[in-house]
Amino acid sequence: MKFTRPPVALIAMVALGLLVGCDSSKTTTSAPTADSVQTDSASESTLVGDIKIDGSSTVQPISDAIREAFIAQHPGVKITVGGEGTGNGFKEFYGKATDISDASRPIKPGELEKAQAAGVKFVELAVAYDGLTIAINPDNDWVKSLTVEQLEKIFVGKDAAKKWKDVDPSWPDQEIKIFSPGTGSGTYDYFKEVVADKQEMRGDMTLNENDNVLVQGVAGNKFSIGFFGVAYYTQNASILKAVPIVNPEINEPVLPTTENIASGKYAPFSRPLFIYVSEESLARAEVQTFVEFYLENVSTFCAEGKVDYVQLPGDLFERTMTIFDDVTTGTHFIDADGNSREGAFAELYVAESLDAK
Amino acid sequence: MSDMPNAEERSGDARSQRKSKPADPLPSALVDRDQVQARSNAQKRKSFDRMFFWLCVAIASLSVVVLVVLLVSIGFQGQSRLTSDLINNSHSELEPAKSGMWPSIIGSLLVCGISGLVALPLGIGTAIFLEEFKPANKLLRTLHGFIQLNIANLAGVPSIVFGLLGLTVFVYMFNVFGQIQVNRPSDWELFGVNHYYQVLSLEPGQTILVPQQDQSQTTIKISEPIEGIDNDGNPFQIEIWDRASGPKPADRETRLKTVKKGAVGGSYSKRSWYYFRLPFGKSFLAAGLTLGLVILPVIIIATQESLRAVSPSLREASLGLGATQWQTTRNISLPAALPGILTGAILALGRAIGEAAPVLVVLGAAIAKNRGPENLMDSVVTMPVLIFNWAGRPQDVYQQLAAAAIIVLLVVLLALNSVAIYVRHKVQSR
Repeated sequence: MKFTRPPVALIAMVALGLLVGCDSSKTTTSAPTADSVQTDSASESTLVGDIKIDGSSTVQPISDAIREAFIAQHPGVKITVGGEGTGNGFKEFYGKATDISDASRPIKPGELEKAQAAGVKFVELAVAYDGLTIAINPDNDWVKSLTVEQLEKIFVGKDAAKKWKDVDPSWPDQEIKIFSPGTGSGTYDYFKEVVADKQEMRGDMTLNENDNVLVQGVAGNKFSIGFFGVAYYTQNASILKAVPIVNPEINEPVLPTTENIASGKYAPFSRPLFIYVSEESLARAEVQTFVEFYLENVSTFCAEGKVDYVQLPGDLFERTMTIFDDVTTGTHFIDADGNSREGAFAELYVAESLDAK
Repeated sequence: MSDMPNAEERSGDARSQRKSKPADPLPSALVDRDQVQARSNAQKRKSFDRMFFWLCVAIASLSVVVLVVLLVSIGFQGQSRLTSDLINNSHSELEPAKSGMWPSIIGSLLVCGISGLVALPLGIGTAIFLEEFKPANKLLRTLHGFIQLNIANLAGVPSIVFGLLGLTVFVYMFNVFGQIQVNRPSDWELFGVNHYYQVLSLEPGQTILVPQQDQSQTTIKISEPIEGIDNDGNPFQIEIWDRASGPKPADRETRLKTVKKGAVGGSYSKRSWYYFRLPFGKSFLAAGLTLGLVILPVIIIATQESLRAVSPSLREASLGLGATQWQTTRNISLPAALPGILTGAILALGRAIGEAAPVLVVLGAAIAKNRGPENLMDSVVTMPVLIFNWAGRPQDVYQQLAAAAIIVLLVVLLALNSVAIYVRHKVQSR
């Protein structure tokens, strides 16, 4: 046996191989970069910078789509879009770790306080609507529509309905199987706020952060019910049935169609999606340009089906543009005393809400 | 065991007895019973043996069947997306059908490389200490036992716990070095960065960079001519235009060097690839180091095992010839254990490539990235995180992409493993 130096050299070779592997990959990645810079410097934008975005995983696809279209025009700008949830997003936002926070619900009083304490001022821009869909199995032939009160019976409290019969005596004597998004998601928060008010949701639901699991769960059991963003319903419309929800104001059941969500008729389950932009970051050319691009394109993207959300109605979007143009900071949904305002989104999202401060 | 030939003998005996003296009732009955019993006994044992053999085959093939079913179903689901787009492109939200995973392949390899560079020397070093340099001193012996115990425990810790550890230690560094914030340079930027203000020029979409002198000042208002730099880094004098001084200059070249009076510039940090800063933040370096922690116990244990397998007589011979402990380790133990160490290392690196949980905790769930990391502090997308995200999407296209991406991940893993097998073979045949 010749146990001399070669093995050591071999180790070095393997290590080197690893390094070279890394290096070569690096050069191949930087090659397209160099190309794009060359072609772009002639005519296209020389805008550079880093934009950090985090927040709702529901809004993430929109921001990602906008990002993609944006960097096609401004290849020098690097944009990171995270999707750690609305709450986590706000935490990063008032920790000054992000420029823009995606949110599937308005900022909460506690979060606002922390932002104010940290000196983070922001503009609150509604960008699109999402319809929260309550879905049942296609074989379910007894549920024709649901009211908010019935949903409360199903979803809220320790003594929530165990069987369909408990909700409506004419419905079958079978156990209800419930599928819900995880407690960290904005979808869960929003549903809880509408249905449960200040109470607790029931504890024996199947919770999952992966909405596809919810879809499969509802599709696989005749006696199940679940809720998720409308995108998951439209993509799986063949194996699910959306429940028409009785609009409390007009007192008639409404389906979560694009028109109904956009017109606000699908109440109270059409929710606005927001981006919160730090005022300090907005002074930077790249952030300014990006947000402008965002607002110019988001409605078109929704309308063309590039993202599975619903565009804001014209008057509400007008309001978004005004806030952006005037850089009016603050939130519409918390009053001067730090309490959440109650009411429909369209009524709160007006200039007076900010002026009152 | 020992009575087997006896029984054989006896039954042979009995057979001959039965043939010769069939009329003798008592002894033949006795012998017969013995023989029948022995035969059935042997039959039972043999059939049991055969049963057990087939049970083992069934169990062994079950795992293969599961793997095959998995591969076939994934292959079936993902084959429509196994195109060159998948390799060449990056994640696309606008055209899901053209989505690809190139940045994530690069990202995974780089992250895995970092973890290997960190964990291999550390892990092999620790194992050598534990196996080759067993201390005689009582205090050191206690330490030795303590380390040994802890490593065994660490190997069983779920990887997500390492993710949380990495988040505190590498991403935030206990906030000792302050936090990484937007609009503000971090306090501990050691090298590889230049700070500028970015100002829009009069030409739409074109900007001018102004070197930043005072880092605490995050914005600049330009009201008099100052020095800026152009795209190639050459300094030039910025010209100022305002409405009072007449119409905007018509010439593109002039417009490129002119800004509006009172234009505001925000801060911009230009980073070289070796940009280094503390804390690491949500960077690929932090992800690599975290994965290094995840695979460290695996490497230590594998190395220990292969060092233990080196025959003590080799070591004793070396020591007997007067070699020191270090010489013995370097010239005898390590070379003999090398194949085992390499196998352990490659298994560990394979694990590092496949881990999603710690990376998700450390880096978050951002997946849209067009390139691999461009500097040490850049974010990164890895294959498992991308697959995790795609698999959770409502669109069918992303589901298929996820399956296809899994195939690519498996191919990368297999390629890594086969390199390891080849290297090991080379070393062994030496």
